[in-house]
Amino acid sequence: MSAATRSANAASRPAPEPVPPAPTRPWGIGVAVAAFGLVWLYGALSLPQAATYAVVGPGLFPAAIGFGLLVLGALLLLAVARGERFEPQQVEDADVSRHASRAAFWTTLAAGVVPILVIRPLGFPVAAAVAFALTARAFGSRRLPLDLAGGFLLGVACWWLFSRLLGLSLPGFPPLGT
Amino acid sequence: MNALAQLAHGFAVALTPLNLFWALIGSILGTAIGVLPGIGPALTIALLLPVTVKMNPTGAFIMFAAILYGAMYGGSTTSILLNTPGESGAIMTALEGNRMARRGRGAAALATAAIGSFVAGTLATIVLTFAAPAVAELAFLFGPADYFALMVLAFTSVSCVLGTSRVRGFTSLFAGLALGVMGIDAQTGQARLTFGSPELLDGMELVVVMVGLFAVGETMYVASRYGGGGVRLNPLAGGLRMTREDWRRSWKPWLRGTALGFPIGALPAGGSEIPTFLSYMIERRLSPKREEFGREGAIEGVAGPEAANNAAAAGILVPLLTLGLPTSATAAILLAAFQNYGLQPGPFLFLNNPDLVWGLIASLYVGNVLLLVLNLPLVGVWVRLLLIPRPWLYGGIMVFGIVGVYGLGGSELDLALMVAVGLVGYAMRVYDFPIAPALLGMILGPMAETQLRRALAIGQGSPWVLVESSLSAALLLLAVAVLLLPTVLRRLRPA
Repeated sequence: MSAATRSANAASRPAPEPVPPAPTRPWGIGVAVAAFGLVWLYGALSLPQAATYAVVGPGLFPAAIGFGLLVLGALLLLAVARGERFEPQQVEDADVSRHASRAAFWTTLAAGVVPILVIRPLGFPVAAAVAFALTARAFGSRRLPLDLAGGFLLGVACWWLFSRLLGLSLPGFPPLGT
Repeated sequence: MNALAQLAHGFAVALTPLNLFWALIGSILGTAIGVLPGIGPALTIALLLPVTVKMNPTGAFIMFAAILYGAMYGGSTTSILLNTPGESGAIMTALEGNRMARRGRGAAALATAAIGSFVAGTLATIVLTFAAPAVAELAFLFGPADYFALMVLAFTSVSCVLGTSRVRGFTSLFAGLALGVMGIDAQTGQARLTFGSPELLDGMELVVVMVGLFAVGETMYVASRYGGGGVRLNPLAGGLRMTREDWRRSWKPWLRGTALGFPIGALPAGGSEIPTFLSYMIERRLSPKREEFGREGAIEGVAGPEAANNAAAAGILVPLLTLGLPTSATAAILLAAFQNYGLQPGPFLFLNNPDLVWGLIASLYVGNVLLLVLNLPLVGVWVRLLLIPRPWLYGGIMVFGIVGVYGLGGSELDLALMVAVGLVGYAMRVYDFPIAPALLGMILGPMAETQLRRALAIGQGSPWVLVESSLSAALLLLAVAVLLLPTVLRRLRPA
């Protein structure tokens, strides 16, 4: 988001100015970016950098990207050291002035991870029900049976649409052989 | 054949019942996702990619274009009635539009937004009709080095313009480039960065990255910072139509907004933030009722930015169709969609697939009419979408994401990668990294690499070949200028 839209956003929300939180020092971001770069650099250096007929080999571009990420990681660490501000983005429905809820974060993460484990043995509708109910719970819903049922119905509808009409492979309910 | 004859042919394609049906579906879907939070045109098109593989490409692109335009119409509705801009191009609309709505003039604001969008969308499409073939002709002059330079310019400007800082913009871009090189190298057949996984030989799936960044990342972010609470709708009472004065005050801002939006949208840094912002500032200065701005809400401040927003959407299509150069996240997805069908946008698309190109352009005219009809009288229906409880809305987004990713190839690895990319998307929102550069890097990166290697092969390894043509040298100089501009401006500003 550019500075222009940022200031406009601030102007459109004349809400009471929240107490500015203590500046965060996200050292981890710089370290992660640099590590990402190292992995790519390492992977690229095991590939030929030059090719006889094409001059440039398959390794050159990935190596350049890895090196670039390494430099950017260092620059990010420098920015963090200089106290640059890393503020949460304004997104619809999100209230960035409040503290992030860890419980909601982990519940949503579970909504992404649990389906990976159950989709093959139990099929898509069950996975959808789990993902749906966990996400709903992260958003404060406390009607678990209703959420599970809603997710299951949505899952069945998607499964029917995709595997019957569009011919894409989604597992139905493997224990029953569908 | 001149452009008019081509366009007439395009209308013959776009007005077939089936293609009209796709335009209608796209318009409805686009308006709906424009109104709804948490899901935008880029994610929608990405999720539809696997579904549309078996469709005729012309029909698919007509639907995608209608989604792109429809999201613009829908986005203005939530800006005006709820003060929650669904996408960055609608932020300026919210400023005056929501003030008008609170004064009971919401209907007039919605009308000037919808009619302004129609006027701007139609005018911009007319310019597109005549400009695109001309630019496509120019593109024949581009050699590999020139294309590479053009892509470098696009990378640099998107990374510099969209982020809070250049370092964050470039970090996002390079992360995307890194994902783009995964898989089999098309020129030598070597596996690159697949970590020994046969499933990664095809590279990272775009849908996985899109769903991760937009659906999973956004859901995690919003869930952890969810304010709760119901939706406060401004009633649509009073002044249901635009008065004669509203019309008199709206038509000039519509035209000025179009004039700003189209050319800026067509530039490599493009986007809709800058033209809408400029339009707002200009209308504020020119308005005879300047005192209404920031108080009861001035209709010029809605009419101008909305027109600029829609004109920019048409402008984005110029470099995409003629040069294969995407300048926004949605355009990048459209480029990927072309590649899905084995099509490469550029001058040859105009020669080899006139049905598709001209059918698509003609469908933009049709889509604008459909959207005007869908949005003006039915706005009350769209607003009801906002009453969907948020837990169910985001639950649905997660389920659709899993369908899209697992439906690709029934791979749990894809789902795991989706969650991993989702965590990255979460972190990008928490620490304010722009997301569009990553997508552009991932989609455009492999093309940039191909052009670079082709250029270097032509130059027999000499890097000077990259600046040998005056065109590529000029484009690279421009890229350097964009890169250095913020620093220079900061130096010039008195401390």
